[in-house]
Amino acid sequence: MTADFADEPTEIRAELRAVARAVLGKAERGAAADWPVLAASGWLGLEAPGALGGADATFAEVGIIAEELGRAITRAPYLGAIVLGVGALCAVAPCDGRDDLLAEASAGEAVPVAVLTEDAAFRLERGPDGRVRLFGRASFVPDAAEASRLLVAARRDGRGEPVIAAVGPEAAGITVTPRAVLDETRGLADVDADGTEVPSQAVWPFTSDPHAAVQRLLDRAAVALACDSLGVAAAMLEATVSYTQVRHQFGRPIGSFQAVKHACADMFVQTTVARELVAAAVTALEEPRAVDVRAAASMAKSYACAAAVDIAGKAMQLHGGVGYARESGIHAYLKRAALNRDLFGSPGAHRARLAERYRS
Amino acid sequence: MPTPETDLDDFRSAVQEWCRQHVPAGWRKAQTGVPDEEYIAFQQWWFAQLREAGYAVPHWPARWGGGMPLAQQAVLYQELAAHDAPRLVLAFVAIHHAAATLLEAGTEEQRARHLPAILDGEIWAQGFSEPEAGSDLASLRTTARPDGDRYIVTGQKLWASGAAYADWCLLLARTDPAARKRDGISYFLLDMRTPGIDVRPIQNAVGESHFCEIFLNDVAVPAANLVGAENTGWRVAQATLGAERGLTMLELAERLGNAGFRWLVEACERLGLLTDSLTADRLAGFETELTGLRALCRNLVERHESGRAGPADASIVKLYYSELLQRMTGFGAEITGLPAHALLHKPASSGWESGAWMLDYIGSWEWTIPGGTSEIQRNIIAERGLGLPREASA
Repeated sequence: MTADFADEPTEIRAELRAVARAVLGKAERGAAADWPVLAASGWLGLEAPGALGGADATFAEVGIIAEELGRAITRAPYLGAIVLGVGALCAVAPCDGRDDLLAEASAGEAVPVAVLTEDAAFRLERGPDGRVRLFGRASFVPDAAEASRLLVAARRDGRGEPVIAAVGPEAAGITVTPRAVLDETRGLADVDADGTEVPSQAVWPFTSDPHAAVQRLLDRAAVALACDSLGVAAAMLEATVSYTQVRHQFGRPIGSFQAVKHACADMFVQTTVARELVAAAVTALEEPRAVDVRAAASMAKSYACAAAVDIAGKAMQLHGGVGYARESGIHAYLKRAALNRDLFGSPGAHRARLAERYRS
Repeated sequence: MPTPETDLDDFRSAVQEWCRQHVPAGWRKAQTGVPDEEYIAFQQWWFAQLREAGYAVPHWPARWGGGMPLAQQAVLYQELAAHDAPRLVLAFVAIHHAAATLLEAGTEEQRARHLPAILDGEIWAQGFSEPEAGSDLASLRTTARPDGDRYIVTGQKLWASGAAYADWCLLLARTDPAARKRDGISYFLLDMRTPGIDVRPIQNAVGESHFCEIFLNDVAVPAANLVGAENTGWRVAQATLGAERGLTMLELAERLGNAGFRWLVEACERLGLLTDSLTADRLAGFETELTGLRALCRNLVERHESGRAGPADASIVKLYYSELLQRMTGFGAEITGLPAHALLHKPASSGWESGAWMLDYIGSWEWTIPGGTSEIQRNIIAERGLGLPREASA
């Protein structure tokens, strides 16, 4: 598999997409993913080294799975455990603990969920007894309630360079409190660490500049959410195009009326532009030296995630009463799109980040 | 070893150096309010400068004097915009629409007759629309009646940009009045010196008069000037559209995305608005959309070159560009406030970018109406791109 990605990425990626769409599309919309199936398909360890059961692939392949999960609005801890968890494990220095966890994550046996905050709000403190303890709190952490291990980005004494502290969710001092949200396809939880002891072999340093490494993980999350939203948008556009050809009023399919047709055209244009920006951001994450990765990520996140809300909303409108009824399932897409928009930076926050560049 | 990136950097440096030496300083001021002859002379001179450098028709096949790789074309347009070079307004139809038509559907003789002539400055106009055939172009009434080895053309054309100066005109006329409306149209190359042609300029909303009416009264067109087979004109025009749209849009998008956005940021800076969060949000939104537009344009050209273009691609790009331009210029006018209303005249040889936001905002309807209105583009996107049913009446 390793050589395949390097040789013929386009064909392999098309194949990956087709398989993912077929497999994920079989499940009921919004249902929980069959995690062992995802593991057996090789989608959990895409970026992990081959020696640890991974595929030595790139973020582009992860992005494809993220988009297809969005298209099927699958409930799965992919964002927290794979985009971020495996992403974090690949960014820290190899050691036995890290290697074992990466292999288990690739096999679907462990669910290592990253706990990241923009300001690295967790701190590691060495007490008078010489032991290191973790303190801090994060809200609305994706997939934390499903984690078998928490990978917390923390700074020594709250000031030093960030490291990853690996702790069990059952460890003394750790509290994981699920947060019920409108979107039933994602699980969010608050994570509280109040003096949890972290042995030195569970503190893993990043292999590159630690601040940049954390930023890169946040950018991965932003782009993965943009991919997910692109999938939501594409699914809603297709559902609407299909429905407006079947639904008749005034003796004609409603899709023949310009008001409906033009709304669909706008949904298509927005989806097309989103696809370009998402592709550019995925490429930027693969080749971080080529372009301004942060800008590309912010553009993709702000545009695609806002567009998906517009598109899912328009889909509900064009489905009429049927669209507002829970049974149609459109509400689930709209809620997921709206949650995607606000996770890891709202469109406004990302645009504010872009605008900082104009003042320099 | 040189990589594609370093090659591109070298190319960029070469274009930058060329621009520094050749773009005339103060051309906007010098071109404001000039008589037609001066505008034409300036455009012809600028075209010759670009031609000498190999920059006039980079999008043409190598055989006819082009052959520049797409990545270099994008760089060329970026740098021309960055150095505020005049646009090839007068040659626009010739180097894009006419060339695309000849390359897609013309005979070898027609290409050999016209492509080198265009490089020598032959000016073209497009005679498609009519008073009763705007959005419903296929209902055009101008007729071309076979008469031995020629056709006799009679009718009226409208919105023919640059027709007052044109040597030649791309002409759609009805050759089979009995056929269904799209099946009875033929595509001709019309020599504007032919007797029976009367051209009258129409002043537009920004005070320019490049749009013209063309009255055709028993105008003889040799059968050799028919493009494609008789009664296939609609298909020829459609086939040409995709080729031409991607390439024209590549230039326009690079201009808007580079110089256009930079001017907007500079305007905000002058007004002290860069620290205003609402302004910053709008600017970042425009930068994001411009980035998407530029990627869209490059992809359209690449897909067209490899025969993978979708049926609605050209319409998506046209719609998105024109409406983004309208929103951007509208924003420029809005933040400038009353000073944006100062009575100014648009310099000849400029595109949408007169240098005055309000004037450009008013002028932006020149992009959302001609070439298929935004409403028509949305119909095309929905019907051809998404497969939605056609309207009952159409």
